[in-house]
Amino acid sequence: MAATAETGAEPAPTGVDPTGDPLLRTRFALPKRPAGFLRRTRLTGHLDQALVTPLTMVNGPAGAGKTLLVADWAAGLREPVVWLTADPSDQAPGIFWAYLLEALRAAGVPVAGEVGCPAEAGRVDRRTLTRLAADLESRDHTTVVVLDEFDRVTSPEIAEQLQFVLHHAGHGLRLVLVTRTEPLLPLHRYRASGEMTEIRDADLAFTAEEAAELLSRHGLHLNHSAVRALVDRTQGWAAGLRLCALAAREVADPHLYVKQFEADHSAVADFLLAEVLDRQPPATQDLLLRISVLDRCCPDLVNALTLRTDAEPVLAALHRENAFVQYLGHSWYALHPLFAEILRAHLRERRPGLEPELRGRAARWLRRSGALHEALVQGAAADDWEFTADAVVDDLAIGQLFTGLHSEELSALFARMGPETTGPAPDLVRAARELAHHDLDHGLSHLRRAGRDLAGNGRDRAPVLLGRALLEALAARMTGSPDRAERAAEEARALRQDVPAHVLENHPEVTALLLTHLGSARLWAGRFDDARDALSAVAGHPGGAAMALPRCEALGHLALIDHLNGRPGPAEHKALAAAGQAERYSLPPQSGSGLAQLVLAAVLIDRDELDDAEALLDAAVSRPLGDDPVTQACRTLTRGRLLLARGDARAALAAADASVPAAVSSPWAEDHAALLASAAHLARGHPESARAVVERVAHHRTACAVEAARARLAAGQVEGALDVIDSLPEDDRPGPAVTVRATLVRAQAAHMTGDLVTARRFVTRALLDGRRGHLRRPFLEAGPWLRPLLSTGRLRELSGGWLLPRPGRHPDTGPTTPDRHPALAVEELSARERDVLRLLAEMRSTEEIAAGLHVSVNTVKTHLKSIYRKLAVGRRSDAVRRARERRLL
Amino acid sequence: MRYEIRVAGHMSETLAKVFPELDHVLMSGQTVLYGPVVDEAHLHGLLNRFQALGLRVVEMRQLPE
Repeated sequence: MAATAETGAEPAPTGVDPTGDPLLRTRFALPKRPAGFLRRTRLTGHLDQALVTPLTMVNGPAGAGKTLLVADWAAGLREPVVWLTADPSDQAPGIFWAYLLEALRAAGVPVAGEVGCPAEAGRVDRRTLTRLAADLESRDHTTVVVLDEFDRVTSPEIAEQLQFVLHHAGHGLRLVLVTRTEPLLPLHRYRASGEMTEIRDADLAFTAEEAAELLSRHGLHLNHSAVRALVDRTQGWAAGLRLCALAAREVADPHLYVKQFEADHSAVADFLLAEVLDRQPPATQDLLLRISVLDRCCPDLVNALTLRTDAEPVLAALHRENAFVQYLGHSWYALHPLFAEILRAHLRERRPGLEPELRGRAARWLRRSGALHEALVQGAAADDWEFTADAVVDDLAIGQLFTGLHSEELSALFARMGPETTGPAPDLVRAARELAHHDLDHGLSHLRRAGRDLAGNGRDRAPVLLGRALLEALAARMTGSPDRAERAAEEARALRQDVPAHVLENHPEVTALLLTHLGSARLWAGRFDDARDALSAVAGHPGGAAMALPRCEALGHLALIDHLNGRPGPAEHKALAAAGQAERYSLPPQSGSGLAQLVLAAVLIDRDELDDAEALLDAAVSRPLGDDPVTQACRTLTRGRLLLARGDARAALAAADASVPAAVSSPWAEDHAALLASAAHLARGHPESARAVVERVAHHRTACAVEAARARLAAGQVEGALDVIDSLPEDDRPGPAVTVRATLVRAQAAHMTGDLVTARRFVTRALLDGRRGHLRRPFLEAGPWLRPLLSTGRLRELSGGWLLPRPGRHPDTGPTTPDRHPALAVEELSARERDVLRLLAEMRSTEEIAAGLHVSVNTVKTHLKSIYRKLAVGRRSDAVRRARERRLL
Repeated sequence: MRYEIRVAGHMSETLAKVFPELDHVLMSGQTVLYGPVVDEAHLHGLLNRFQALGLRVVEMRQLPE
């Protein structure tokens, strides 16, 4: 069974926050059979089919006895049974699957760690579902999964996902849906193929014999005709029969009572429940009305609502009499949903105005007991916003508005909080919601207001201030203000001492988010080492759903630092680690800042895998307000690099010119923009402009110095180029992406002076440095001089297989001819040359092209030569092919 | 849109208050609820409410304006 534990495989991460939530396990509990429960063998026998067919649906109206029927049947199975009572918040796929995975764990049949777990409400990764199905399928036993109250899950998306898992899990999964309404699965298909067991309302209805037995177990002994009449009146409805038994056994003449009820025209449950309620002792009536506002309750919670101390015996007695309450084990009870609904109607009528008060009291009890989420739901339902906002902030749950399974739900909860609720905590919650939804202006203004309120407010509480520091750090990151981020981090450090240790432990995401924001702001300021300090702590921190997002973000930032340092290997490694985390936790790949994806695209561009890079860039679409300056700069620069690699130098120049709004400027963002501009100028054949933009920053950044040297070479200044290369900044020692380029500059310089031996030596070194990471771009950018060198001897060997086709791979084409090399030129085609190329692609002859463009044949030939040179080809067909590859057509 | 919904049995005044947006009248073993229904979502919400309260809907129709 617990194969994963035995093999010692990594446990599955949990998306559900299990921290001391006493209500969590009540959702996984099979309701206990009450005394007097009647097992109906025709139904349990029918249900045994559920072990044969993949899908079973038990449907009927509220009070038809569905849940107890299935619970009783499931309790007797040898197969492991996973029980999940659906909750209205399970509409979101991420939440639904996270709880289902948690239910598997609670039932002692957890899935393997590789399945992962959703960490965002709205999303579950298809790979998680695939692996879940495979995990279930591979077991040597069938797992029975019961989803009770499945009518609460109306999302078509979840229905589709369930069907997917059911299909792929094969014999490993038997799904039982207990529901008031038909689910959105394609039931007709299951029916047609005989793969479905159905128990419907008509099956659930009690026969006269069953009813007689049930009633007598409740102490009501009626003659045959009375039973039959009662079954007619209630249409065999379980709740009706039960209520009738409870009502009639208290009266002197049950037969008479039943006769009156038969003749009466009232709605069954409505009437009978009122009767039964009225016969309870006043204290019990009061208790029942009060607990109707709770989904689940335990004696202590009930006492908090009744302000008495007798909840325990009263609940036990109600359960014993099979009246209204189900027992879930561990002292937790649930009102039957039907009765709860009717009781609430009575509560509102008999005690108008009491409901919010009760919910408020329940909220406070739940919060004290560590069930924060349920406390917030009750607090919001009571419109007690001061309490609800305070609870979020004081319990340090403010980070959960940004990350974790319930962030959207939490945020939605506060949507009804009106402007009349004032104070630091409500303002912090407002600011957090707005910042989480990338509404920077409003977020900052509420943050300022919270700061003012706190300044004038004597009772400063550490968690409030810590929450504010977190939002400050985020604001600093979004506005590119490293000093502000440092101040916030400093404040947070000092405050941590005043926050109870267990509170901090329960909310590692607060520290993780804060450090990520700090790291991002430091990165923006170019303080890579300091940034790495902050980010590494987050990237290596374990923890469940709420930690997944900060971990992804931290890894993405760390990847960017490596990339900026010219180390594509480690950059790719970290970016992929971030993507792996995103997959494991069903976060969208572009979640958080999407930085990891951008870095991955940049790495691919250096490898000249442009289509893949473009796909990544397109997927990492920008949010209108959401990007921090680091991400914005990275996005713009990477897009520019791609444009340049595609041969569109003009657009690359425009990208280099784009400015990123921020409080302070960023040295690397500026330098890399200059680098891009310089490379674009060079590609357009303007070495002087290229040199001008990059040389002023060449003294402190090696990559820029190398680019400046390249520009000098292009202008024919070999000596000057070597001067620059020989005096590279000492404190900037970047990785291969830069050193390969530097070595190629030296090679080119040697080549220009006719020293082919030295040139070969440097090219050899460049190839050795570049081939591990498949750094193709530097070689492709180097210029036409390189090609002939690569065609011979050791260099051909070193470049074969990654930079050039492996020698001998095409034996029929003979020795590699120059036109089979990848394009090594990025020199831009003129508009006229593009026109010629387009006509060429239409298979026109030179004469036709000349006629079409109203020029002479010789002019066309000149253009063709120029095109061939720029594309490094010798034939028309190759020119067209190359142009297509380079997206010039 | 105006709708008329018939449920089985006579509803108590207490339960009728769960549908404050609708008027109701008792007739021949049924309760007829009628009134404005804002949109489809409202309609389905009403049906859910009937179901949650254990009320059986026997007929439902849109009334001419």
